[in-house]
Amino acid sequence: MRHRSSWYKTVIACVITAIMLFPVYWMINISFTQRRSIRSGSIIPVDFTVEHYEEVLSDQLPYLGTSLVIAISCVLVTLLIALPASYAIGILNIGGVRSVNFILVLAQMIPAVVMALGFYQIFNKLGMLDTLRGLILADSTIAVPFAVMLLTSYMVSMPKSLIEAAAIDGASHWSIFTKIVIPLSRNSIVTTALFAFLWAWSDFMFASTLDSGGGKLRPITMGIYDYIGAQNQEWGPMMATAVVASIPTAVLLIVAQKYVAAGVTAGAIKD
Amino acid sequence: MNSKVKLIISGSLASCLVLAMAGCGGSTKADDKVIQFWDPYPQYSDGDAWDTYVKSCAPEGYTIKRQGMPQNDVLNNLTTSVKEDNAPDVVLLDNPFMPTAVDAGLITDIKAAGVDTSGFDENIEGPGIVDGVQYGLAFGSNALGLYYNPQILEKAGVDPSSITDWDSLNTAIKQVVDSGAKGITFSGITGEEGVFQFLPWFWGAGAKLDKPDSQSAQEAQQLVSNWVKQGWAPKSVATDNQSAAWDLFLTGEYGFAENGSWQAASAKEKGYKVIPIPAKNGGVAPVPTGGELATLPLHKTKQETKVKAAAQVITCMTSDKNLAKTNETLGYLAAKKSIRDSQAKDNEQWMPWIDSVESAQGRTTDVGLEYEQISATLSKNLQTALNS
Amino acid sequence: MKSIAQHTQQSTVARKKTIAALGFIAPLIIYFIAFYVAPLIQNISMSLHHFTRKSFVTGEAPFVGFDIYKELLSNTEFWITLRQTLLFVVLSIIFQYSIGLLLAVFFNQNFKLSNFLRGLFLVPWLLPPMISGTTWQWIMDADNGILNKLIVALGGNPIWWLQSSHSIWAVIIANIWLGIPFNLVILYSGLQNINNDLYEAASLDGCGPWKRFWNITFPLLKPVTLICLLLGFVYTLKTVDIIWIMTQGSGTSQTLATWSYAMAFGKGHSSTIQYSQASAVGTILILIALVFACVYLWAQRQEEQ
Repeated sequence: MRHRSSWYKTVIACVITAIMLFPVYWMINISFTQRRSIRSGSIIPVDFTVEHYEEVLSDQLPYLGTSLVIAISCVLVTLLIALPASYAIGILNIGGVRSVNFILVLAQMIPAVVMALGFYQIFNKLGMLDTLRGLILADSTIAVPFAVMLLTSYMVSMPKSLIEAAAIDGASHWSIFTKIVIPLSRNSIVTTALFAFLWAWSDFMFASTLDSGGGKLRPITMGIYDYIGAQNQEWGPMMATAVVASIPTAVLLIVAQKYVAAGVTAGAIKD
Repeated sequence: MNSKVKLIISGSLASCLVLAMAGCGGSTKADDKVIQFWDPYPQYSDGDAWDTYVKSCAPEGYTIKRQGMPQNDVLNNLTTSVKEDNAPDVVLLDNPFMPTAVDAGLITDIKAAGVDTSGFDENIEGPGIVDGVQYGLAFGSNALGLYYNPQILEKAGVDPSSITDWDSLNTAIKQVVDSGAKGITFSGITGEEGVFQFLPWFWGAGAKLDKPDSQSAQEAQQLVSNWVKQGWAPKSVATDNQSAAWDLFLTGEYGFAENGSWQAASAKEKGYKVIPIPAKNGGVAPVPTGGELATLPLHKTKQETKVKAAAQVITCMTSDKNLAKTNETLGYLAAKKSIRDSQAKDNEQWMPWIDSVESAQGRTTDVGLEYEQISATLSKNLQTALNS
Repeated sequence: MKSIAQHTQQSTVARKKTIAALGFIAPLIIYFIAFYVAPLIQNISMSLHHFTRKSFVTGEAPFVGFDIYKELLSNTEFWITLRQTLLFVVLSIIFQYSIGLLLAVFFNQNFKLSNFLRGLFLVPWLLPPMISGTTWQWIMDADNGILNKLIVALGGNPIWWLQSSHSIWAVIIANIWLGIPFNLVILYSGLQNINNDLYEAASLDGCGPWKRFWNITFPLLKPVTLICLLLGFVYTLKTVDIIWIMTQGSGTSQTLATWSYAMAFGKGHSSTIQYSQASAVGTILILIALVFACVYLWAQRQEEQ
């Protein structure tokens, strides 16, 4: 019903998106510019080159793969821990949402530096420095508190009638969890997954402390760092790397966004 | 029952995963025959000339695992790894960090380990010697100079050989700006990098590190802050690092740039020339020695044979046979006169740098550990001046 | 009247439920103790000992009690930095949230390409902070930046964005930009959970779009809003990357987080590493978050009543 004559909204949305993405455009602009002109501030890459991309495609692809593996695994770890916990807090009412949120907020305030040092000590003893599984585990700590908070807040407002009906029919907690709660939480799961993905994708602090010797098994944020010499930085290739790295993930995000769709929890509002 | 089993499985599955990820793997104490080598040159990846060269210096029976990381991370990563007894075997450490690293007990006496340190220049090796003990060997040095764009100077009618002191430099910059070009770029970024670039003016004004607030120090601050105030230097100098300052100079719009010898190749390509940085009242201003020292980090668990092997790596890279190659690969000037002269003979781009390197001063040579605080004061003063 | 049998049955059900709940939450608890509680204790312990680089390596730092906190609180730099931090956080959040909400409501109207464009809004987040920070630094360049070119073209005077006295505004702008996607996504998915029937009923009652927003959307979004603000507060409070890359926390852009970072790594204007001071500032940041979390609890209770 809302599709009629809404083309002007599309135009407005395009304009807003363009403004929002202007810094991204600037990055693309620089990635096509020769080094001698990157600071001249022209709005289009007048001093055009594709050299940076040639360099990036020959250097950076392994890191891109590593980053994908890390980010996806991180999403899985996050959900595996956060989903059952949220079910326990939000549906089975253990602990109380408020006090749990309180603790989770504090958890997120622990300075990343401190956590990185803590991980370094643990991982060093366990021989997990410079390994992917170590980094995945560390990266997941960025998203888990958030995931629990968000998922819990959705589960609290989930219609209890379905769950109660299932319980009366004798369904186990496990089947209520997997067959009712998880499907109903699709929106928030996708949202949580998006964030977990993005945080793992852009993490630098953990990668540089825990995986700096990982060779090709380092994420793209470290790959970019290789263009930073002691006194010299190659911004062209760095920007080009960021562009190349953004494309597959941008596609992934846009696809994932479609799943945050209306109607899944229609009627799910607490009265 | 079934549901309970599933519940237990589900509950323990996730915790198992966590534990499994944290638990397996076991100890990976560094292999006895692998020498861990850290340097601040992440731009050279596996298989690049520098990487291949370093690895070729592995002693009989050993291999080298090289790891490059950003300059700013080396000291902190070294601190953590020494604390956890997981230190690398050779580290190339930026020279102003030496007293700090020695004070924290991160690095050890290299002479005692068997590195041959004879015949190297005193001014360049200064930072490596703390309380009479040599903790690091500088294979070479870079230096700062005043690059200029000959086309712009010609158009403005400036003769670069006329620049011999601050007054003539200011006159030259003014002439350049009056001709429609931009004046000078340099790096005044917060932290050691900005201080590094400020020191030639600081020392050139006759200021001494033990008095960072002296009258001469203020004159040096005024010199650079006036450039910004007059619009001769871009406002971004307060946040530009040396690379960013060079990017600005590469636009071809600026007459001058204070920058390092590591840009010599890039300058040659663009036809830029270089003169030494003038002191306030004429003559060449002392520049700080730049570059890294090869050090042997402390291992809490002693491993003498491996330390010997690590020392051999340093000796290999700094032997008369290889010293020129080490420096050429990195774009540095050797810390031994004979080798330096042969470098200049083979590659004329080094000619203008010889004087600067020979008159360069170590930042920490005289003041030692105090330099940390002095550098912080200088940085603060410089930032205040550039932002006014 | 309930029989005894029923009572027993109920308590068995309740006990089963608790056991089940414990099973579901166990992974989180293990995870939590290993990865959060331990570092937290370490952080506090570090702030009560005097750590230098040397004593960090040897592990023999003397216990100094609250001396470091006392020193910190008597330092004027701390209070200046605290004020800047609050300004940075409050302004960032107000704008991030309101722009995010506007956009979420706007994109919720399901016009052509709305999903696609909304997806694009997340792209800024894919960029490593190092890249977006540098891009903003160039955009805001005083002499040559595109932003100043635009201001001049519109007839204004160019601004020296990154000068120490203005730099806080520069980093606030960049940080708002960085925070919009987060607010948009959360608020949008909150909007998706609001039943369309409510709007239709309100429409039939003759409520205009403005009234519908204030009477339906906004109140129903309150739980999501609270979460959004709370998390926004926490994330903004600990922001380091974007500020560091743009200004190294120089001048007015220094916040408690960048200050702590500078001291923990001996970077920027803190050339000496100061683990204990960094941890103390870190602990103070946690306390500030604690205060805000209390406000959140209070607001949530109000909400429920």
